[in-house]
Amino acid sequence: MSLLKKNKLVFIVVALLAIGVGYGYQYIFMSPKKVVEITPEFTTDANEFNNLIDENLPSWIGKVVQITGKATQVTQDGILLNGSIYCQFENSQDIQSITKNQNIVIKGKLVGFDELLMETKLNQCIIIQ
Amino acid sequence: MTTNKILIVLCFFVSLQLQAQKYYTRSGSTQFEGSEKAFEPIAATNTSTTVILDTRNGNIVSQVFMAGFQFKNALMQEHFNENYMDSYQYPKATFKGNLDDFSMANLNTNNTFDLKGVLAIKGLEKNIQTSVTVKQKDNRMFVSGVFFVSPEDFDISIPSIVRDKIAKQIQINIDYELIEKK
Repeated sequence: MSLLKKNKLVFIVVALLAIGVGYGYQYIFMSPKKVVEITPEFTTDANEFNNLIDENLPSWIGKVVQITGKATQVTQDGILLNGSIYCQFENSQDIQSITKNQNIVIKGKLVGFDELLMETKLNQCIIIQ
Repeated sequence: MTTNKILIVLCFFVSLQLQAQKYYTRSGSTQFEGSEKAFEPIAATNTSTTVILDTRNGNIVSQVFMAGFQFKNALMQEHFNENYMDSYQYPKATFKGNLDDFSMANLNTNNTFDLKGVLAIKGLEKNIQTSVTVKQKDNRMFVSGVFFVSPEDFDISIPSIVRDKIAKQIQINIDYELIEKK
């Protein structure tokens, strides 16, 4: 092997290693995906969604869903859809544009069923429509 | 004269009864930190904590969803949910307790209360005793405090490879702003 060829090989190996380390570093230190970036696993309306939750809650935990419903209560940090799904918003400014009893489409991450208030809870919600 | 006095006293008690008895929040902040010094921070915040405080007797219940803990690091969040907390099997942690000698009327003079109760994580219960601050302002109640738990108490096994990086005692900070429940 000539010196030139050897150098080339070393260069390629080093370059590949650098790329690998770069990707590895990014993989290890990446931040969690925001709801905005995630395609919803399911798009439905609030009543149907309640039925799905009743059937099998564990399979929905941590999933991003898109729901159509009526804002039956508007609070400082979020809204209540059809009286049973609480959506906490990513930006609380978004809530100011929502009026009570307005029909709305939101996207958010399901975190669980709140037995104290008997509500399904979504967080990091954003308004779709 | 005496009937007047009785009336006044009666009115006082009736007005007490009419006052809000429960305060609650759906978006309380629960934060934990379990990093040893010199390693990258192991911490996460949950801003979806549900808390209900009964101001008549100081009873407090709260519930926090594991899936609601936000880490800075995606991989850490995944390990937390899948390997350490089994978030799909045990989606939440609950706390039931009581603020010792709690009284709405004395909040101006005393803001610190002993909080005793039971914390349940992964189906295991542990008694917790700590002191919290309770303040009232503009018809809102502010509850905040710090306590420590150990992963062993809740059967959370930590692989030996990361054992040195995770503190033996995990610090939990609570910061809740409660509004009247109507």
